[in-house]
Amino acid sequence: MAKNLLIGLFHEATPTADTLAQLRELGIPDDCVTVMSGIPYRPEWLGRPPVRGRVPMFALIGAGLGLVTAFVLTWGLWLLYPLNQGGQGITPVPPTLIILFEVTMLGTMWAAFVGLLLENRFPIFKSQLYDPRITEGHIGVLAEVDAELADKAEAILKANGAHHLQRVEEKYPLFARPGNLLDRLKARVTTLFGPDLLQRPFWLVVAVGIVVLLAVGAFIPYGIFPVAIPTQMEHQVSIGFQQGPRLAAPAAAVPVQGPVLIAGQPASTPYPATADSLQRGKVLYDLTCVVCHGASGDGNGRLSGFFVPKPADLTSARTQAFSDSQIFLVITQGFGAMPSLAENLDVQNRWDVINYVRSLKK
Amino acid sequence: MSERKTDQAFWRRPAIADETEAHQIEDVRQQHLLLDPRYPLDSDRDVLDPMYRSSKRYWFFFALFAGLVLMMFTTWTVQMWLGLGITGLKRPTMWALYIVNFVYFIGIGHAGTFISAALRVLKVEWRRPISRAAELVTVFGLMTAALFPLIHLGRTWKFYWLIPYPNERQLWPSFHSPLLWDLTAITTYLSCSILFAYISLLPDLAMARDHTSGWRHILYSVLALGWRGTEREWSNHETALNIFSYAIIPVMFSVHTIVSWDFAMAIQPGWHSTIFGPYFVVGALFSGAGAVIIALTIIRKAMRLQYFLRTEHLEGMAKLMLLLSFAWDYFYFNDVLVPWYGQAPVEKSLFALFASGRVAPLFYLMIFANAIVPVTLVFKRVRTSIVGLFIVSLFIQIGMYIERFLIVPVGLGQNEIPFAWGVYVPYLPESLISIGAFGLVIFLFFLISRFFPLIPSWEVYEGQVLQGLRRIGRAILPTRAEPD
Repeated sequence: MAKNLLIGLFHEATPTADTLAQLRELGIPDDCVTVMSGIPYRPEWLGRPPVRGRVPMFALIGAGLGLVTAFVLTWGLWLLYPLNQGGQGITPVPPTLIILFEVTMLGTMWAAFVGLLLENRFPIFKSQLYDPRITEGHIGVLAEVDAELADKAEAILKANGAHHLQRVEEKYPLFARPGNLLDRLKARVTTLFGPDLLQRPFWLVVAVGIVVLLAVGAFIPYGIFPVAIPTQMEHQVSIGFQQGPRLAAPAAAVPVQGPVLIAGQPASTPYPATADSLQRGKVLYDLTCVVCHGASGDGNGRLSGFFVPKPADLTSARTQAFSDSQIFLVITQGFGAMPSLAENLDVQNRWDVINYVRSLKK
Repeated sequence: MSERKTDQAFWRRPAIADETEAHQIEDVRQQHLLLDPRYPLDSDRDVLDPMYRSSKRYWFFFALFAGLVLMMFTTWTVQMWLGLGITGLKRPTMWALYIVNFVYFIGIGHAGTFISAALRVLKVEWRRPISRAAELVTVFGLMTAALFPLIHLGRTWKFYWLIPYPNERQLWPSFHSPLLWDLTAITTYLSCSILFAYISLLPDLAMARDHTSGWRHILYSVLALGWRGTEREWSNHETALNIFSYAIIPVMFSVHTIVSWDFAMAIQPGWHSTIFGPYFVVGALFSGAGAVIIALTIIRKAMRLQYFLRTEHLEGMAKLMLLLSFAWDYFYFNDVLVPWYGQAPVEKSLFALFASGRVAPLFYLMIFANAIVPVTLVFKRVRTSIVGLFIVSLFIQIGMYIERFLIVPVGLGQNEIPFAWGVYVPYLPESLISIGAFGLVIFLFFLISRFFPLIPSWEVYEGQVLQGLRRIGRAILPTRAEPD
């Protein structure tokens, strides 16, 4: 059955709404009528059924896809290649949450955009029934009516004051569902996943392009299509860790193994061996030295059995032959198995202990 | 046809018999764009005409800013050829003017989304004519900002190492690094800001398509994607814009928070602070609002858009900017107070440097420009004066640029090891590239103003449909219908 297309332009919203109501009374279903305007008039203002779009659903799916992508980027790839940094995986939880958030939002918004395009059947590059005055503020009513109702519908548009009327006879009933006629005039209506997807060259090119890009992107890195990527690494000299030959030390360099005594100078200003100093020295000796060197200084402290060689006999002639400054350095730096006691004894304490040790001489 | 009530087309003005009332209404109309409707074709002409009538003055400035852009890219090429050694970067200030520019231009990119998305969500009516210009400030600010990590990289061609993709080196960027968060956040923000601007541009592209001929007609026909303004198109358009508005606001907050984390995650005195996230966001909105005002005042004058961009819009922006100035003061005070209380030696030295050291002039200029100059906006006379607003906004740009300078190279020069302290001075290449970056943003505006309508006319008409007048006593006041 031949269909007629009617378009009428109005200035005001009320006659438009009246027209739409009368067209419905005439028996033209709602999905065969649409309103075009340069301003977003809500359908309910014009007494039209609300539009149920699926853009939010696209956005939700996009959010899910984004979340999955982010998981793959972070934890998924780490599972494939367990790269650890300082004992941690490269994806500790808090930073990963940031990536999850950003990529989820990316997916949401891109999908909302794609949803907008698909829901509106954009892009439409074929000629459509339209009037440029619509973007000047006019409201267009577009109806697809059976040929026998066309005259009556035209009369309704005229009676309500449509200041422009156009009628097109559609000879070829191309459209499976009547409502779709209005969205894609003179174009075949298909759903994205319908059987005639291949007849839509635009989407076909897009889809093939995406597949090719993904394939190339996935195959090159894994050597499936071996492509010699120039890294220029063959021009670089490769040197191992601490590999020789090493540079000789500069002439003026002096090896330093910690503090040493300067000949003729004391390690620090000595304290005289007063009675107070000896008393402090004994208390400090009994706190810090006695466990190894023993109460009498003979090197038989309670821990002495654990050491080979045994702790020094402080009463011996060999030890007592050390100068005060040498003993000071031993206490400060440690000697053999003996640790540094610099943190236990400050400078004055050390001299107190030295004075006490001198008094242990046999 | 029986007697029925009808509304009038929104551009028709009913004749008012009473003369006083007519004068009153005329007054209100002059103040409010949304109460001053015209036949849309006249408005459209105002939007479209400047796009193909370029004056000599336009070409002069176009050439000037194109020259700046050329200078920037030439300097960048020279720097790539000779290496980063020609810049002032040296230990300990390895982050300097390029990073300052990066933070500054990302900051500029925040107001646009805030104005068009947040004010859309909140249904603030004065956003309508300015949202496009604000979105473009966002897009161009972000594009320019995204250049700076590349410039700062030195070996720009190695940039792709940052992108997580399967590669034959079997290397994977570590998600520990705030720089990778930056990449993700900026990719999201920039691409979605472009989509957001494009979606709201669609009906205007259709308008431009219907009123142009020649190559422009073809260009707009392609870009408008076959927009006819059917119920379904509008409905999906509205839904998509709402989704974008709600989704892009948290992304906007996350972007500058992540930029702040570039600093705050380092154990650098003056940077290692938990308040850096919100502090940077507020600073970004603050400088961004100023940038939008500058853009609006220039567009208004240069493209003769006085019908669309009125004092009420600039005043709304000025109030927003005043509020953001107070917020900035609050956060800056917080950022200083807590380290001051801690009395850590290095931070004390940093404060001494600000208060009486070599950067003291910069510090006091920043306080003056960011905290004191905007206070003048409490006076209606300043808020409603275009020149006054322009000057205040310019001060804010200077102040916010200095703020970033004090944080990045000055803060970095004063680390935990006094032995390694250093003074940073920008060298010529950095200065040229920075000046060129400002030129680039303006140049992009010059370019886009010849191709796309800078006023979202459909949003204005929608507002004009929804607004009306109401008499209360002797006054006639604007009222607004809530569509939802």
